[in-house]
Amino acid sequence: MIRLKHTRFYFGILFTLTVMLFLSLGGGLWGAEQSIGHWTGALFQNVCHQNPERSFLFAGVPMAVNSRCFGVFAGLLAGWILIPAITRLTSKTQWTLRLIILAVLVQIIDYSGNLFQVWQNTNLTRATLGLFLGMSASLAVFKLFKPEN
Amino acid sequence: MDEITEKKDQIYSFSDYWPSIGIVGAIFSLITFVGGLFFGYQQINSEPTGSFFSPFMISSGVICLITSIAGLIAVWHFTKEVSPSLKLGQGAVIGFLTGAVIVVVSVLLSELWVLLIDPEYNEKMLESMIANFEAMDMPQSTKDDMIDAMAESMESQQSLLRQIFIGVPITGIINLITALIGVAIFAEKKNDDF
Repeated sequence: MIRLKHTRFYFGILFTLTVMLFLSLGGGLWGAEQSIGHWTGALFQNVCHQNPERSFLFAGVPMAVNSRCFGVFAGLLAGWILIPAITRLTSKTQWTLRLIILAVLVQIIDYSGNLFQVWQNTNLTRATLGLFLGMSASLAVFKLFKPEN
Repeated sequence: MDEITEKKDQIYSFSDYWPSIGIVGAIFSLITFVGGLFFGYQQINSEPTGSFFSPFMISSGVICLITSIAGLIAVWHFTKEVSPSLKLGQGAVIGFLTGAVIVVVSVLLSELWVLLIDPEYNEKMLESMIANFEAMDMPQSTKDDMIDAMAESMESQQSLLRQIFIGVPITGIINLITALIGVAIFAEKKNDDF
């Protein structure tokens, strides 16, 4: 039994994030040959560079977002799903802010390291770091859903 | 005491939200627009290198990151200027609408730029990006597919309403999430209902 404050709001956002992740899979899901130019690609073009070389494939077609953005969206959903469990485990919030600052810093370090050719990141590392950022963003709001005792 | 209780239970109208949404949305859309133009002209005036890190690609990452924190900043503005107490749903509305304002204003500014200042901007941008794709180290068939899709994408987004309609949902949702973070950080803690 999930015990949360603002239950309807929680499930509304859960549904929205699920749909967003689903749509980010791109044109492959709808039988298109590309995501860029497809309506799913158009949805995300304001928030992602959508370079096919830096995107995972779904059904043989590059997704509508790159691997880092896909990781962020997956992380937002995963973190949101974890909120009910976290509200049971702790009341402290400081760690969530530290976590999100760490996640942002790691993104900047990874991006800069790749930009200045110190190292070369991969789709998997970008997605993993994106997942970390997305999860930490969702978990940062867990206290808003914690029921009063 | 009664006065304080009354203030805390106050129901806000849209006119209370709009300054935060409008000001923060307008500032962020200006940043997005000016940043996009700056990197856009850098892209147009640079030689194609075939590198992923073209000015356009760098700008899209940076601008996305900047745009996504607008919801958080709008909530901070609201708690400073209107009321320190803010409910979850109110924060969500502020975040989503801030994202919507960013999309609408930046699309309008871009249209005005093309209409009044540089009518060939989109064409030059497309040519430059195609030249960069051509110089990339990948199979020719992949390049052709990407170039066709990109050209088709740029042609299909000519309608102003379409750009707004398709741009608002995702930017709005991302700003909604960051606005919730803003509520968690900046809003006065109290036992609120929705």
